[in-house]
Amino acid sequence: MSAIPSDSAPARREAEGWIKLRRLLANWQGMTGLVLVLLFFASAIFAPLVATHDPFALDIPARLSGPTLEHWAGTDQLGRDTYSRVIYGGRVALQVAAIGISVSLVFGLLLGMLAGFGPRWLDNFLLLLFDVVRSFPTIVMALAAVALLGPSLNLVLAIVIVTTIPGYARLVRTATLALKNTEFILAERALGVGTARILWRHVTPNVIGPMFILAAMDVPVVVTVEAGLSFLGLGVLPPTASWGSILNEGYLLIRETPWPVVAAGVPLVLTTLGFTFLGEALRDIFDPRLGKGR
Amino acid sequence: MMDAPRPDHQLGDNLVEIRDLSVTFETGRGPVRALRNVNLDVPRGRILGIVGESGSGKSTVIWAMLRLLAENGAVTGGRIDFNGRDLLQLDADALRAFRGAQAGVVFQDPMTSQIPVKSYLQQFLDIAYRQKASRAEKIAHAIAMMRRVGIPDPEQRIAQFPHQFSGGMRQRTGIAMALLMHPDLVIADEPTTALDVTMEAQVIHLLRELQREFQTTMMIVSHNLGLVAELCDEIVVMYAGEVVERGDIQSVFANPSHPYTRALIDCDPARVLERTRILPTIPGELPNLRHPPRACVFVDRCPHAFARCREEKPRLNKADEGHVAACHLLDGVRPVMHAAAPAPAQDEVVPAIAGDVAPLVAVRNLAVSFQVRGPVAALLNPGLKTSIDILVDVSLDLKPGETLGLVGESGSGKTTLGRAMLGLVKAQAGSVTFKGRELIGLGEGELRPLRQNMAMMFQDPIGSLSPRQTVKSLILEPFDVHRPASGNRDALAVRLADMVNLPRDLLARYPHQLSGGQARRVGVARALALEPDLIIADEPTAGLDVSVQGDVLNLMRRLQTEHGLTYLIISHNLPVVRHISDRLAIMYLGRIIEMGDATAIFARPAHPYTRALVDGIPRPDPTQRRRLVSIEGEVPSIARRPQGCEFNARCPHATDLCRAEMPAQQTLGDGRMVRCHYPLID
Repeated sequence: MSAIPSDSAPARREAEGWIKLRRLLANWQGMTGLVLVLLFFASAIFAPLVATHDPFALDIPARLSGPTLEHWAGTDQLGRDTYSRVIYGGRVALQVAAIGISVSLVFGLLLGMLAGFGPRWLDNFLLLLFDVVRSFPTIVMALAAVALLGPSLNLVLAIVIVTTIPGYARLVRTATLALKNTEFILAERALGVGTARILWRHVTPNVIGPMFILAAMDVPVVVTVEAGLSFLGLGVLPPTASWGSILNEGYLLIRETPWPVVAAGVPLVLTTLGFTFLGEALRDIFDPRLGKGR
Repeated sequence: MMDAPRPDHQLGDNLVEIRDLSVTFETGRGPVRALRNVNLDVPRGRILGIVGESGSGKSTVIWAMLRLLAENGAVTGGRIDFNGRDLLQLDADALRAFRGAQAGVVFQDPMTSQIPVKSYLQQFLDIAYRQKASRAEKIAHAIAMMRRVGIPDPEQRIAQFPHQFSGGMRQRTGIAMALLMHPDLVIADEPTTALDVTMEAQVIHLLRELQREFQTTMMIVSHNLGLVAELCDEIVVMYAGEVVERGDIQSVFANPSHPYTRALIDCDPARVLERTRILPTIPGELPNLRHPPRACVFVDRCPHAFARCREEKPRLNKADEGHVAACHLLDGVRPVMHAAAPAPAQDEVVPAIAGDVAPLVAVRNLAVSFQVRGPVAALLNPGLKTSIDILVDVSLDLKPGETLGLVGESGSGKTTLGRAMLGLVKAQAGSVTFKGRELIGLGEGELRPLRQNMAMMFQDPIGSLSPRQTVKSLILEPFDVHRPASGNRDALAVRLADMVNLPRDLLARYPHQLSGGQARRVGVARALALEPDLIIADEPTAGLDVSVQGDVLNLMRRLQTEHGLTYLIISHNLPVVRHISDRLAIMYLGRIIEMGDATAIFARPAHPYTRALVDGIPRPDPTQRRRLVSIEGEVPSIARRPQGCEFNARCPHATDLCRAEMPAQQTLGDGRMVRCHYPLID
């Protein structure tokens, strides 16, 4: 920092952060959400350590087995270890969620601020664009894109990004519009501050908080979109494991063994619940409009 | 705790008796003990005023009474007896029967306290649900009540919604709602704070009349000593969650016995009749209520504090018949009390402003209008106007080094004028020259370098600071924008903070962690950072406590002499502006209707509207209550400007000429400009 005596304020700010964290942990939803989300991240990042088998290794004698000591969640029709495949499938889900959400956050922020702060015609044009994109059913758009370009993980990512940008952009646009006429933005203009600086230093910090909360609640949506596309065979290519492709294979084998469907379905449900709980708890804590008295 | 010796009331003549009331708010950083052992009585049939600055706990008292404390607040001790029944013991049903029926509330801001999607008829019926009467009778009763508070055509208007009423009418209707069930007690929380001066006088008058008529008991909570002096019979002064003085209004104002009360009265700018340039203030800050002081709460700011004040909590000592104050000075020997704040220093020599100096800023025939309908709507309804005129033909000069006070009620266009002069609002016609250079028509790029020389202070001290920036980066921002790489940033920040008396350790804080007065200092530092020639200050004292107002104005005054600044000070608060302005300009509906020397205007207003404004100031002196409402009616909507003189409907001197023809601008003998057919002076 600086030579200026400044002991109290950062300490106070840190204390405020701790208070919010403690409130998050005291909230059962927040606590459950946090634990599930951490599990999801840990299992995906440390997949080689957590998995018991190579996800592609065939164990033909044990094919289509139920849960055993050797194969905790059973095996599929090729004798691959379902548990290990589910763990590795989490990597695909995390990759799509992390890259997809962060890229669309950046684009949503830029486009939203442009629409909110820019001239009226630009606002109208961008809004029209957002609404057009939002009006496409995701799956149908994906089907069309795959028909043209062939299935791939990158395509899944691209579809996720394109379809989630409008949501963020609209949120940012509304928040920017509300800020545009506040006294402090007017005060910055009266000081001769340029538009870029106003947007970067004075608008962004004030709109980014709600966006992170929305993003946390969007992660499960993205994960299920990836799983859905992979289930339909439009996402990751075999033999790569994804929760959606495991579900798809398990669906074909459901008369022989229910275990692949169960093993891929449970993490999907838990991840969805975890991010939703976490997002709602964060919103309760950080959104000043909720939960306060007079 | 120690019980205070109370004035000898007979049992039962108090409608409300509050005993040892303590309220604590749980916050993230520990409990705040907002009220501590508060004792007060509300005598039946009288008007009690509770006065205090922000943080005094005056509103907490009434919310505790109504059992409507915020969720994190709890009563930790004491009792609140209403008609002999402890309100703190009531269950939900009994509370519901109490609120509205036995105690009615008038809120500060009727815009937010009335339901926007329900008609007034529905809102009145919702209050009258417990009345055993037919619907027609209830409606008739509500209409009668609306007529009583002065709503014209109540039969028609009762079906309307809050947004169709003007601010003053909304507050009148709010009073009608509070009185609808003929409650024993009416509680009013800052009932006039959201209103203009002329409306404030009307509401004070109305409340007094209604109290007499209905024999109601009233509790008025306000920071405005003038309002309390005009309206109340008894007064309770609160400071930092404790009652420091209470008693009969005449006795307390004639003989304020607690140093805080004394200082508060001294600080009220409306009390100081002569024009001084340095206003009295109360140095220091409110104690931290997480760790309330054990001894006297006011000791750190008290000019008379002695050893005992730091050791022992003062009891409520008798100052006079029915008048007590929590001060050791009243216990035992009674020393002479001096004026609390240091007496204002002698007015320094005001630099004489020669008459023929070229003006720093010249505004000529400035007009601003806002578009309210698009071109398509205009085509469809050719009769409707597509825009409303906010400013009409405004001309004024600002000479270097002078202070011009721009005064008007809400909707007069004073803020728009300030913003239009800086190019923040687009002007449709006219010219603004700054040092001879035309500003109207310049693009933002051309204006930017000029903005170093013209700064603006905005109305909301905290809301005009970017919330996620530290104080340090906020006060350095002017340099970052206009003079990047201007040397040692830390030293610069410290120099600016020192210049406005901002404690250096606040530099690392964020705006929401500052008090109003501190945030205002940051605003002043930002405005002054680049040493501009002109500062336009929009309501520089709005939202500040009386004791801090004087501080900010004195600071602005000092900086003016040090830096040779020119000020345009925009305010609705005439007493405040009067003390710092060389000249005044009074605005009404977007026109300047009177402009001239501040002292002369105050002594002898030429325009009837100016006179109404001057007379409308509630004075903190209960011996000089006004008998008459100075002016009737409200500011008309600028969308429907009246024919002729725009003030004619409210003017006591209006003639047919006023109703037919707009008066031209004329210059009076003392060089004053006025826009009136019949100016009150020659």
